[in-house]
Amino acid sequence: MSTDNKHFILGVFDDEDVLMHAIPEVRNAGVRIHEVYSPYPIHGIDDLLSYKRSKLPKAAFMFGFLGLSCAVTMMVWMLGFDWPMNIGGKPNIPLTDFVPISFECTVLFSAFGMVGTFLIASNLFPWSNPVIFDKRITDDKFVIAVDMGKNKLSKNEISNLLKSKGATEVNEKEI
Amino acid sequence: MSENTKTYWRGIEELNNTPEFAAHANNEFADNPDFNLDGGNTYRRDFLKVMGFGIAAATLAACETPVRKAIPYLNKPEDIDPTIPNYYSSTYAEGGDYCSIIVKTREGRPIKIEGNKNSSISGGGLSARVGASVLSLYDKERYRSPKISGKNSTWEDIDTLIITKLQDFALAGKQLRIVTNTILSPSLYSALAGFVAKYPNTKVITYDANSASALLEANKLSFGTTVLPSYDFSKANIIVSLSCDFLGTWFAPVEHSNQYVKGRKLSNTKKQMSRHYQFESILSLTGSNADFRTSIKPSQEGIVVANLYNLLADKAGAPKIEVGELKDINNLSKAANDLWNAKGSSLVVSGSNDTNVQIIINSINTLLGNYGNTLSLGTPSYYKKGDDNTMNSFVDELVSGSISGVIFLNANPVYNHPMGAKIKNAISKLELSVSTADRPDETNVLCTYLTPDHHYLESWSDAEIKKGYFSLGQPTISPLFKTRQILDSILTWSGNTTDAYSYITNYWKNNIYSLQTTYQSFQSFWDNTLHDGVFELKNTNAELSFNFNIASVTESINSNYKAASQDIEYILYEKVGMGTGSQANNPWLQEFPEPVSKACWDNYASVSQKFAKEKDLSQGDIIKIDTKNGQTLNLPVLIQPGQASNTIAIAIGYGREVAGKAAIGVGKNVYPLVNTTDNKSKYFGVVSAITKTSENRTIAQTQTHHTLMGRPVVQESTLKEYLKNPEAGRYKPLIKTNQGDKKPEDITMWKTEGLETHNYKNHAWGLIVDLNSCTGCGSCVISCQAENNIPVVGRQEVINRREMHWIRIDRYYSSDADPEDKSLMGYRNMEDPSDNPKVIFQPVMCQHCNNAPCETVCPVLATTHSTEGLNQMTYNRCVGTRYCSNNCPFKVRRFNWFSYYTNTKFAEINPMMDDLGRMVLNPDVTVRARGVIEKCSMCVQRIQLGKLQAKLERRRPIDGEIETACSQSCPADALVFGDMNDPESRISKALADENKERAYHMLEEINVKPSVSYLTKIRNV
Amino acid sequence: MHISSHVRPPLITGGKTLHDITHDISSRVEDMPNKKWLAAFTVSALVLAYGLYCLYRTLWFGIGEWGLNKTVGWAWDITNFVWWIGIGHAGTLISAILMLFRQKWRTSINRAAEAMTIFAVICAASFILAHMGRPWLAYWPLPLPNAFGSLWVNFNSPLVWDVFAISTYFSVSCVFWYLGMIPDLATIRDRAVNPISRFIYGSLSFGWTGGAKDWSRYESVALILAGLSTPLVLSVHTIVSMDFATSVIPGWHTTIFPPYFVAGAIFSGFAMVLTLMIVTRAVYNLEDYITIEHIEYMNKVIILTGCIVGTAYITEFFIAWYSGVEYESYCFINRATGPYWWAYWSMMTCNVISPQLLWIKKIRRSIAATFVVSIIVNIGMWFERFVIIVSSLHRDYLPSSWAMFFPTYVDAGVYLNSFGLFFTLFFLFAKFLPVVNMAEVKAIVKSSSEKISSTQSSPSHVH
Repeated sequence: MSTDNKHFILGVFDDEDVLMHAIPEVRNAGVRIHEVYSPYPIHGIDDLLSYKRSKLPKAAFMFGFLGLSCAVTMMVWMLGFDWPMNIGGKPNIPLTDFVPISFECTVLFSAFGMVGTFLIASNLFPWSNPVIFDKRITDDKFVIAVDMGKNKLSKNEISNLLKSKGATEVNEKEI
Repeated sequence: MSENTKTYWRGIEELNNTPEFAAHANNEFADNPDFNLDGGNTYRRDFLKVMGFGIAAATLAACETPVRKAIPYLNKPEDIDPTIPNYYSSTYAEGGDYCSIIVKTREGRPIKIEGNKNSSISGGGLSARVGASVLSLYDKERYRSPKISGKNSTWEDIDTLIITKLQDFALAGKQLRIVTNTILSPSLYSALAGFVAKYPNTKVITYDANSASALLEANKLSFGTTVLPSYDFSKANIIVSLSCDFLGTWFAPVEHSNQYVKGRKLSNTKKQMSRHYQFESILSLTGSNADFRTSIKPSQEGIVVANLYNLLADKAGAPKIEVGELKDINNLSKAANDLWNAKGSSLVVSGSNDTNVQIIINSINTLLGNYGNTLSLGTPSYYKKGDDNTMNSFVDELVSGSISGVIFLNANPVYNHPMGAKIKNAISKLELSVSTADRPDETNVLCTYLTPDHHYLESWSDAEIKKGYFSLGQPTISPLFKTRQILDSILTWSGNTTDAYSYITNYWKNNIYSLQTTYQSFQSFWDNTLHDGVFELKNTNAELSFNFNIASVTESINSNYKAASQDIEYILYEKVGMGTGSQANNPWLQEFPEPVSKACWDNYASVSQKFAKEKDLSQGDIIKIDTKNGQTLNLPVLIQPGQASNTIAIAIGYGREVAGKAAIGVGKNVYPLVNTTDNKSKYFGVVSAITKTSENRTIAQTQTHHTLMGRPVVQESTLKEYLKNPEAGRYKPLIKTNQGDKKPEDITMWKTEGLETHNYKNHAWGLIVDLNSCTGCGSCVISCQAENNIPVVGRQEVINRREMHWIRIDRYYSSDADPEDKSLMGYRNMEDPSDNPKVIFQPVMCQHCNNAPCETVCPVLATTHSTEGLNQMTYNRCVGTRYCSNNCPFKVRRFNWFSYYTNTKFAEINPMMDDLGRMVLNPDVTVRARGVIEKCSMCVQRIQLGKLQAKLERRRPIDGEIETACSQSCPADALVFGDMNDPESRISKALADENKERAYHMLEEINVKPSVSYLTKIRNV
Repeated sequence: MHISSHVRPPLITGGKTLHDITHDISSRVEDMPNKKWLAAFTVSALVLAYGLYCLYRTLWFGIGEWGLNKTVGWAWDITNFVWWIGIGHAGTLISAILMLFRQKWRTSINRAAEAMTIFAVICAASFILAHMGRPWLAYWPLPLPNAFGSLWVNFNSPLVWDVFAISTYFSVSCVFWYLGMIPDLATIRDRAVNPISRFIYGSLSFGWTGGAKDWSRYESVALILAGLSTPLVLSVHTIVSMDFATSVIPGWHTTIFPPYFVAGAIFSGFAMVLTLMIVTRAVYNLEDYITIEHIEYMNKVIILTGCIVGTAYITEFFIAWYSGVEYESYCFINRATGPYWWAYWSMMTCNVISPQLLWIKKIRRSIAATFVVSIIVNIGMWFERFVIIVSSLHRDYLPSSWAMFFPTYVDAGVYLNSFGLFFTLFFLFAKFLPVVNMAEVKAIVKSSSEKISSTQSSPSHVH
């Protein structure tokens, strides 16, 4: 086998709970898990895999703030400075009238900003071709993927470990 | 040109002597550029020709003409240039309608009629009909050349044929008649005299569609002179009118409105006003302005007049007339007392066409010593000369076949004479039948020879309206078609070779020039008169003495009238817009809402509310009316409060059969319903039966809710109250706040952090509408339509409530319900007008609010406020969301639902749809595209023009030199336009002093701060 | 993890396993369209065709083809606009607000509801376009530098607020909807047999793998979007209501409008969702996913919102009388007793009285009854907007301008057009995209599907 090929061992589980029990034990056994795949989000799994909390909320806030300031600047500049005129005898900068649009822009910017960030972070694009370890993941299987390249334990040790923790089957995949 | 010593460039064309110019230079008015507009529909090319000609005409009509023939009103000859309008004074005279006018021309095209302030008669005012007459010039139905039995011909041919005929007649002694309506032109009269001298077997027959023959005869019998008196309503403190619509449709409505309103105006300096009683069967424009109004049946008129006479005779100790005493006629004795107390400063008029009634009226005015004060035979007026007797005998002769030839001088008796049917059959038997009408009508389609007249805006004319009051008319455009003005025709046929222009000048040189001493040379007299439009010698002769045995009328009064009759009666009346129907093919007038009923595009059977209830008729039901004199017609019902019960009123002037697309099929012709008693046309009669049919026809009305619902949008009071407190009737809303009651204008969310509302540094344009002066005549509506290129939308679109008028006159009826009762039933009752309601007219145009709700909501800033306080509409920015219109509390905004100038749906009614009609458009005002909002701009184009003028002369605009179309044409001077920043302007003075207590804004409670103020209506009750 | 009380009846019936779910939902997309679908689709396409003809007349000849006049400048056009926008709100509400409240029952309906939102907003937009006098200039209300120099738009105008609110609402809803669909699209991708659909769904699914890290990001994004959409959906109808509330017209100028409109929106939206779901579940036999429970929950929301709008109607009347404003009080008297009384009273019956039936459990749990009520409520809400717009305009300040509004066949046709558009889009969606959010359903099935919850799996359960 060529060196640049990555070698994965996949523990396939049928049940969420079994998986959840298996993950900590596998990790305690000193196995470095590449990633766990599931057909639906499992709450608490990121703690088991000790993932850091995502910074997306902060991003959302920053984008929202950007939207707000853009909106206000735009309206004040357009009506107040670029072309002031007498509209129904109102002052040129009627701040109260600017509230709705400011709010909408805030939401618009933060929603799009955040989703954009997410797609980039998770590299989700129409043209991206992902590594699909097992086609049943999006159906009803849960998969623990272990990257042999990053593990000292031998193939058998890992597959046995996975089996013993409830994996219904253990497959190997090369990329 | 030859006698022109000065040499001017006739504009740029002569300077660089274009072939076009050279072509036109030598053919003046005599003939016209030969563009083929025949065959009805004109093509773009023809239109371009017309335009091309238009420009040339600008140089000729405008540059050359003034020097030799006419003096431009404002501009000196040399500074003619495109885009700058020229104004010419001229004369409108049609039937009883006379008006001295200023014609606004652009590039040689007359585009608008305005009032001429130099005339003491029309005093700068217009009537709707006069204002609209400019559109008739561009009527595509007009004849484009003379015709012999329907085929186009040339003037040479037709003249030779006619003249030979005439000569044969003279030799064979065959009888010839010239049938005409009232002619005011003295020179035309002398020409006709010449004609009669040449062909002695000729008689000139004068009749009027809406006849005043009885009044003439009455004056003959009681004063020995067959003329109309001239009235002065401004001098009358008490006015009693018996079925006389002197503000709307009697003769001289403009003059009379003008005088009447002088007596009605109020201000801090003039605190008394005339009192007006009206006794009538229909709710006329005049009646709706009266302080006291009583509805009577037409069959009572004579008795009522006689009773009024008797009441006064009592006081005067004069012989009485033996007629039944009327007890139940409201206000009659009150009127009599007021009249007696106002001897010498009162006026009694009647619209009746019954000689005896008019004689009684004469003697009443004599009893009251009004002759010489409020009416005068010393200065007789000539508005109507029609004589029913001669006309009727003419019809008999015609039918009997004793007449061989008739020349119809713009008269259309087949349509507008009661015996039209007889005349119709007789014409075909005539050897010679000539009509000079300039467009197809019921009479001339039967005539062999058509010698179409010019439109009056194409011809020279003069008029003597009253003794010593002369008026000149000049052409404002070269003739569009191969037509010839009747004066020329008459002269030609009587073998006189002088042309109309020189004939008139000669006439004036010989007959009128000598009457004055001001001018040393005839030329200067002529030029100045032409410039002013009028020449008035204000010297009157002695009054004549009344000399008639009043008792002799008793019998006929008793036989012709009943104190109380159970019959259903019909009354025929004129509508303010349509008149006698001569301008029926004028879409502006067809769409002009009748001031009182607010209905247009139709005539209908008006009935009282009571009558409708009894006969279970609802608006729009078609009823079959059979009259005693054997006529039958089906008409839709219009429920008209104020109408005398058991009467049906129908307007004349409708049901044209030959007139043009806009007129045909509109309403029914009711001239055949006119009766004749004592040889006088009688405009009422008895209905033998009415039957409700199953059909239904919606009547197009521009207003369908008629009462005020207890809302203070019109604020009124009585003279008594006003004298106690000038603020009487004012409504001053207060808003409850946590700091107590506040005026609406003191409440705003924008006063914070020094954000003040905008103020106007230069001008602040505004308008005052005096509800006390406005008679509701609606001349402003037409004037606005002409000035602002307002499309005509037709009957169906009016029914859809989409009329486009920028200024409307709201008409409200009073209701018997208690305006304070805001309960459910209370509101229900407020919706029903009284049976004899008080009426109020309120002109409403864009109020140019300084806190305009429309501006706030427009998403694209298509409507914003100008630095001069105008609410501006930017058509090309408008995307048409109609939000502004929804948010307008006054609903003055109009939306272009269709492309009115291209959508074939409007081809037959909208003048903008054909090339000829487009010539009337005002180049200064955009024709609005489909899908945009439009509205009153306070004639911003006129404001700009005035400011430009002032700027060129390095001065501020002078108050009064800038006027909106509506204020310019108002015969009542009810609208005052001006700069509210100029303390010396009329408007500022009125608001600051003369009328400040009466001035109010509509809907003060919503604090939109309009620039239009209204002055409270005061009734003298 | 899942706090699942077994007191509650299961949300997903028929003992579905994860695979069953995948199969049931995906096969709708994979199989050939069934007869019912074809019939439904054809009908809506035909309606759309007629509607387009009427739309053509409007656009070609002008708004004059409608029944509007100088006094009533808006009628069916804006009625329909507000009505559709209102309907749209339920979708966002169900997916966003219910998500924030962790309402599990939403999962099997939120996809379709969101789709409904988007299509409803499209329909609403079609009226914004059609009601313009010059629709070809529809982009002018955007603050773009333009040919007329830098002439900007009027930020005072509620219509410009609308432009921002609705475009924001539309785009955010689309994002929310699509994001939620990515994992399901991946499922379909992975089941796809022929390369074309694999490629299409492959690119549509943005290369989703279902990794734990992605899931956790995905969840927080979904949560924040929900957090953003909630005020957004409220703001949109608030702003729509300001079209009227900020005006000076009696009957429009009312501060109660924002909450009142929002409640009305939820009210009509839920009704529409019910209508649609009852149809879809019949067409697609999704009885196990859209159960009586779902229907009952939604019915409860309808009772609540129905009572809110009812209260609003009465409050309006009270204030009209209490304010003592001449024009205001007349406006309301006229609403109830004037020429348009019938519209007012059909509104009252449909919106205030008919929902009260749902207090009865039998009715609440009967599909047929619910279906009828949901339709009635939608009719009622249409009348509500009609009453607010037309009965206020047709008799405003000056009696001289009072007029009546009579619709033309084109008015009706343009309304039909929006139905055609809506259902055509909806049926296309139902055919080519997963109508139920599989991932979310799978996530709750554990706790709420009978079979699995009964046999709690254990480590011993290994083969």
